[in-house]
Amino acid sequence: MTNRIAELRKERRISQAELADAVDVTRQTIISLENGRYNASLLLAHKIARYFGLTIEEVFLFEEESE
Amino acid sequence: MNKKILLSALAAAVGLVLFGVVLILGEQLPVGGVGLCSGLGGALIGLGGGRILLPLLMRGMSPEDRKEVERAERDERSVAIRTRAAQDSWYWSLYLLWIPFIISMVRGELLWMVLCPVVIVLHCAFYLFHMYRWSKKL
Repeated sequence: MTNRIAELRKERRISQAELADAVDVTRQTIISLENGRYNASLLLAHKIARYFGLTIEEVFLFEEESE
Repeated sequence: MNKKILLSALAAAVGLVLFGVVLILGEQLPVGGVGLCSGLGGALIGLGGGRILLPLLMRGMSPEDRKEVERAERDERSVAIRTRAAQDSWYWSLYLLWIPFIISMVRGELLWMVLCPVVIVLHCAFYLFHMYRWSKKL
């Protein structure tokens, strides 16, 4: 799973702290999401997508792993 | 929040009363009474006092830091780290260690009274190690 959080955030000139405040998580969680170390829950993915005014699919990109 | 502080204060007060009972009655207590009252008193003071001290310590932080600490309590990544660390360190077995500890206090067996808390502390250190490991992974 990859995501466009960092890209969207930079596009809109939003800091990690501002995004963390808006979706009620710690800044460290935003850092981990952007680095791809942590996969957001459906609830958090929904909050982040809504914050950017996009759908979950537009923010989080699901790539099926090849066997 | 106030209810939590009230309960913590009550626990600490009961702990102090138990210590007082040991100090006043001492030898008059039945066999194992001294160990049991001291042990439970200490545990209650530790638990209650800790929960009272934490908000006081947080008052010294900046509003941003305080908000971050409060948020970390329910933040889903932090919860995931705590859950996985607990699973990896067999955290449930920590509760089992309190059984020999209480038995040793009732029976007044000094070796086990010392050994059990040491193992409990090591168990907590093992949990903290896994917390660190998972915080690097997630």
